[in-house]
Amino acid sequence: MALSGIQIYKLLPQTNCKECGFPTCLAFAMKLAAKQVELSACPYVSEESKAQLQESSAPPIRLITLKSDGYEIKAGNEVVMFRHEKTFYNKPGVFAKIKTSAAEADVKELAGRINDYRVNYVGIDLEVDGIAVEDDARNADKMQKTLSVIRSVSKKPVMLFSDNVASIEAGLSQLSGETPLIGCADSENWEKFAELAKQSKAALAVIADTLDGLAELSEKAKAKGVEDLVLVPKGKNLGHELILQSQIRRLALKANFRSLGYPTLAFCQTHAQIAQAIAKYAGFLVIDQFAEELVYPLLVLRQNIYTDPQKPIQVQPGLYEINNPQPTDPVLVTTNFSITYFSVANEVEGSGLPAYLLVADAEGMSVLTAWAAGKFDAERIAKAVKAANLDTRMSRKRLVLPGAVAVLSGEVEAELPGWEIRVGPREAVDIPKFYKQVLQVN
Amino acid sequence: MPVEVPKEKWPGSVRTITLGALPAEGGTRKRVVTVGGETAMPFMHFEGEIPYPPVVAIEIKDRKPDDWSPLLLETWRDVIDDPAQWAAAAEEAGADLIVLALSLTNRDGNPTTPEEAVASVKAVLAATGVPLIVFGPGQAEADNALLVAVSEATKGERLALGICEDKNYRTIVATAMANGHLVTARTPMDVNLAKQLNILISDMGLPLDRILMDPTTGALGYGIEYGFSVMERLRLAALQGDKMTQLPMIVTPGFEAWKAKESKVGEGVPKAWGDWLNRAINWETLTAMTLVESGADIVVLRHPESVRRVKAAIDELMAAKAFVS
Amino acid sequence: MSRYIATRAIRGANALVREAELMLKRALAEKGGAQKVAFPNTAYYLPLIYGMTGVAVEKLEDLVPVIEHAKRLLHPVPSEKMWTPYLGETLDSGMATLLAAETIEAIRFVYGLQPERMPGFTLAGGTAYPELDSPNNGRVGHLNGPIDDIQLRSWGIQLVDGRMPGFAAIVGAAKSNEVAVKIVRELQKRNILCFLSGNVNGRSIIHQLIEEGVELGYDTYTVPFGTDTISAIYALGFATRSALTFGGLKAGQAREILLYNRERVFAFVLALGEVDDLKYAAAAGAINFGFPVIADTVIPEILPTGVTKYEHVVSMPFNEIEGADDLERAERLVQKCIEVRGVKVKVAEVPVPVPYGSAFEGEVVRKNDMRVEFGGKHSRCFEYLYMAPNDEVVDGKVEVIGPTFDHIEPQGHMDMGIIVKVAGRQMQEDFEPVLERQIHYFINGASGIQHIGQRDIAWIRISNNAAEKGFKLEHFGKILHARYHSDFGAIVDKVQVTIITEPELLQQWLAKARAAYDYRNRRLADLTDEKVEEFYSCTLCQSFAPNHVCVISPERLGLCGAYNWLDCKASYNINPTGPNQPIKLGKVIDPVKGYWTGTNEYAKIGSHGVVQEVSMYSIMENPMTACGCFECIVMLIPEANGVMVVSREDPSMTPAGMTFSTLAGIAGGGLQTPGVMGVGKYFLLSPKFISADGGFKRVVWMSSILKEMMAEELKKVAEREGDPDLIDKIADERHVTTVDELLVWLEEHQHPVLSMEPMF
Repeated sequence: MALSGIQIYKLLPQTNCKECGFPTCLAFAMKLAAKQVELSACPYVSEESKAQLQESSAPPIRLITLKSDGYEIKAGNEVVMFRHEKTFYNKPGVFAKIKTSAAEADVKELAGRINDYRVNYVGIDLEVDGIAVEDDARNADKMQKTLSVIRSVSKKPVMLFSDNVASIEAGLSQLSGETPLIGCADSENWEKFAELAKQSKAALAVIADTLDGLAELSEKAKAKGVEDLVLVPKGKNLGHELILQSQIRRLALKANFRSLGYPTLAFCQTHAQIAQAIAKYAGFLVIDQFAEELVYPLLVLRQNIYTDPQKPIQVQPGLYEINNPQPTDPVLVTTNFSITYFSVANEVEGSGLPAYLLVADAEGMSVLTAWAAGKFDAERIAKAVKAANLDTRMSRKRLVLPGAVAVLSGEVEAELPGWEIRVGPREAVDIPKFYKQVLQVN
Repeated sequence: MPVEVPKEKWPGSVRTITLGALPAEGGTRKRVVTVGGETAMPFMHFEGEIPYPPVVAIEIKDRKPDDWSPLLLETWRDVIDDPAQWAAAAEEAGADLIVLALSLTNRDGNPTTPEEAVASVKAVLAATGVPLIVFGPGQAEADNALLVAVSEATKGERLALGICEDKNYRTIVATAMANGHLVTARTPMDVNLAKQLNILISDMGLPLDRILMDPTTGALGYGIEYGFSVMERLRLAALQGDKMTQLPMIVTPGFEAWKAKESKVGEGVPKAWGDWLNRAINWETLTAMTLVESGADIVVLRHPESVRRVKAAIDELMAAKAFVS
Repeated sequence: MSRYIATRAIRGANALVREAELMLKRALAEKGGAQKVAFPNTAYYLPLIYGMTGVAVEKLEDLVPVIEHAKRLLHPVPSEKMWTPYLGETLDSGMATLLAAETIEAIRFVYGLQPERMPGFTLAGGTAYPELDSPNNGRVGHLNGPIDDIQLRSWGIQLVDGRMPGFAAIVGAAKSNEVAVKIVRELQKRNILCFLSGNVNGRSIIHQLIEEGVELGYDTYTVPFGTDTISAIYALGFATRSALTFGGLKAGQAREILLYNRERVFAFVLALGEVDDLKYAAAAGAINFGFPVIADTVIPEILPTGVTKYEHVVSMPFNEIEGADDLERAERLVQKCIEVRGVKVKVAEVPVPVPYGSAFEGEVVRKNDMRVEFGGKHSRCFEYLYMAPNDEVVDGKVEVIGPTFDHIEPQGHMDMGIIVKVAGRQMQEDFEPVLERQIHYFINGASGIQHIGQRDIAWIRISNNAAEKGFKLEHFGKILHARYHSDFGAIVDKVQVTIITEPELLQQWLAKARAAYDYRNRRLADLTDEKVEEFYSCTLCQSFAPNHVCVISPERLGLCGAYNWLDCKASYNINPTGPNQPIKLGKVIDPVKGYWTGTNEYAKIGSHGVVQEVSMYSIMENPMTACGCFECIVMLIPEANGVMVVSREDPSMTPAGMTFSTLAGIAGGGLQTPGVMGVGKYFLLSPKFISADGGFKRVVWMSSILKEMMAEELKKVAEREGDPDLIDKIADERHVTTVDELLVWLEEHQHPVLSMEPMF
């Protein structure tokens, strides 16, 4: 049975020295109990306590960080099988593949596209995390050249894959001071890989098609002094990959099985592999082909699945224009909970009717929840109206409140003199009807 | 050192539900579809049974839809004006099931009549050999009027009728009971509301093995994480033995994904969104696959290419049984 | 059970079974055993026989075993001296009667005696009889006979889905034609199907209605079966087929079919006029289906409930019904029928002259726009809801006693009391305050009306606009009547409202209301965890904290502060499958920490196995989990040997080194974290607040906003704890934001924790 925060607290120095980064020993103890920090963060814990805290001393899945100049991509530290149990913490790093057999100009062009890719989703800029170089040419020179070309256009972290250790070595020569991932080490070549990883401080990917194989490799590599490992379970097909990924996660979390307590990496060729890797436990993804129309949904899916279920995605508060509205068109107000925003925006957009959507900062809560918590009241709504400068901007001042907060109409009226306050429907689906039957009538 | 994998032995299992009836059973289908029966989380073949694969349904309308993405209208262009041809084309495209969604109004803009609805349903049944799910237009009064007529005209076919929601389920359930059909029960992404509606429906006397539950999902980018987690929770609850959650799940990623701006709009969107058609299909595929991974038994799609991809993936997910036993 | 009824029903059954037997013998002799027997357009053979016995009667000879079966159900007529419960015998006789009646009607069909001929009469929609209806035969006038399967399906769906509340089998003849019409109209108004049959001395309600020009048939939901009592069997054939069609039941599952009808088909028998043996026997048959019998004559009542959901037989002698005239009596009679069967009234629209809906809830009526106000600075307004016995409440009655506001000058004021009297079989005294609080929401829904406050500090304004549209005092009553039925139909059957403006009466009622408020306050204060046998769960928040369950006890309200034990109890009664479920406490495991077998079991189920045990009164051991909606967070300060309480509204730093929002991440999510707990702020005042750990005295630090908001209440708590200055000894963010400062403060103020036992 895991220790509670209070039990752990008793074993700590209780000095509130703050050196662990937490304000009190109790706060640190509670984070330890939740397996979100390592005991080693406490410089003063006694040896005796350490022994007692063995089980609580490290997260069951090791945190691995890939680094390059200005970038850090983390994987690991996960604590649950299902995101509703707490949350998934570290979004799997997405790496797009570049082959050493490609022409220099092509490498440069593709690396540039990958590097520059940026797409906005609910106010968040999403990017590809790095580039995975596949040494299909099995040529150290090519590897070196490819990396130098990549580094001329991108500083993002890289992964180097080859069965030729010399190639990897050549590639690493271009990456001084970075922590890339190298691999994949298998039962034949693991020793050379391990040495190289240790020497260059790179993270090492080990590959096998069974759990036994993976565990054996990780133990051997660890014995060689490599701590930062990434597991690549090579399934026989999509379903087998799912089972291996699930079993690794389960062994690490439920059985505290240290040899498999590392993040995993999935090589994805198909759409199904991508969806599965994100939903089911991959710590890193390598995608075969870089294409905007695939990367966009992939990054969005990752963003969605890795949303903390208790901290919903928020939309940037502010004024959104839908269907080219004029200053005479109505202003619909809602909260900045992403799902709320989407349902309203979609309905209005789909109806083709012009309107302003005023998104008030309600700390990411839905209309009713925010209202109940006092985060969506007349004052906040009035503030949003003023912040968007609507008093001068609108020639007809009509503000439509969500039906669920009809109770606010009187107060809003008092806060916003000169505005017509209308109460809209409770459900977003009914907005087009309300617009046509009520707003367009008078 | 061989690794010992901890196995979950669940006390509960999902109910097995069959859609469609063969001629010998009082229907006219050439094939029936059975879903459910899982005794483990999705595709965990090493610790339980996944006796039936998830299936893919294609959604068609009784007439050319007004609000579908132009890409879909183009894809089905040759058959879109005739539900029978459309259904046949959907079967051809690999649909295990057809979902016929009735429109609120007919081609002339008048309310769809029960006779028209029955005619569409019968035409679709005649044109295909797979089981059929019929959704009303989504307005209580119209749903009840049309579905009752459809239900009576197809007695014994073991259709699934939908969509039952907490505000309107009694009539659909009553007519399904009287005519040997199934119902789909939709609740807005909430485990307890799903249970509650299942209780209310079964309280009316419809056996649980004639209810499919639709926990609702959002599309990718539009709340899929809620649908995903609610489905995982419902399935976990079912396996833990909670009777009112032990129903196979149907979800409509096609409807959700094709409603998204990403699928509907081709112009005036950021360049980073990439090619329109491929993006739209990717949107549907990724939405559907994510839900298959979280326990969907029936996914309702709209584009033949996503159907192909999802079916291929399901084949692989099911085939993995051979690698672990 | 009345011996009188038993005697007559058994006698009636014996006679009818004998009659059926003789008829069958004669028919077998005249037509032969192979003669086909069938009702028109049905796939259920002779439906009652098919359902009850499983015998699919297709030929005359198939009826022989049916009659044999009926005979076995007969009993000797009770002797004068014997006094035993006769219910079983009576019910058996009732069933025998039904089997015999259907046999007789079937034989009548063979002889062309059914449907009953009625020269010159045309059905407004009915079962098709091509022979009789053909113009070639001169369109023979006839009644409907049995309902066919098509109509069964159409009505059946409406009965099952609730669009039709039920059906009434009316047997006999009404006092007058006028009364007959009124009864049928009243039933039609409520969408209740009317099946007509029987007669009194040859005159049937069917004759009465035809004479008055009432259209009868499927189209008008009024079906004339036949003018004799036997034809009432078609109503039960209909009920049997409903169960077979919609209940998924099989022929021969007699018990299940009867239970199905009892539970799901809201039907009753209305016996008009004198009740003879046969009617008693048939009524006994109906009681088998759980259909009660209401008679408008003097007959013995069978009130104990059991077989039917409510009373079995109710006598309501027509001339003794309260009412200005026969029409009003007829209305009351129908009302009674509906009550007895438990048919729920639905009021579709709130009948007020202004727009009504939740969209108007927030409207403010400003002084300048105001016609009149009740309450506020210058006048008194109070509202009081109480429950009364069923027969003391006249549903829908709204009375205004005293002057209206017509004479009040614009923007003036007057005193008013709103008295709501409710009755309901599921109503409990504990629900009174819960229902009373709804008045605020209900009245606010009217456009141009503003409602603030509750009890005797209610404050209502009517706008000029609303007054011009014709809003009057009585409309408050209309609103309340409609909304209580629509929102609280599960616990409220009848609602009567009295609006009082007459000064003297108003004072009397105000005194009564205040006594009741006082009583309720004391009841709430007296309601301790020890006095109840069940707590309630609340899973409202599982949508975002899937494994969290609130356990709500009388002394521990929900952590969101919105739900107390009484609310949960009412919510459960209104919505038995909803988020508030009773938790039977079972055995006490530890009364100090607050463990019961029931709460522990529930914790396991409700949290889906994540939480194994939950302590109601401790923060240190298995504390209750939290979703994230908590008003306050309580957290252990180990250095201080106490706890701090931080309010959601307090953004400042706490001695725990974390602000509310950081702490919320630790406290929420449905995970048990000893030392941290999310609570509703009023729980701080409860004697059960961390009582296992030392109670309120453990509080060493508290957000100042809590101290201010609950100053009065906290003072009382300090007194209860025996330390009147306790609140001043508790630090807050104005003076203390670190542990070190806190320790100094506690020393300086001699806080009681200094001398308390270590918390762990």
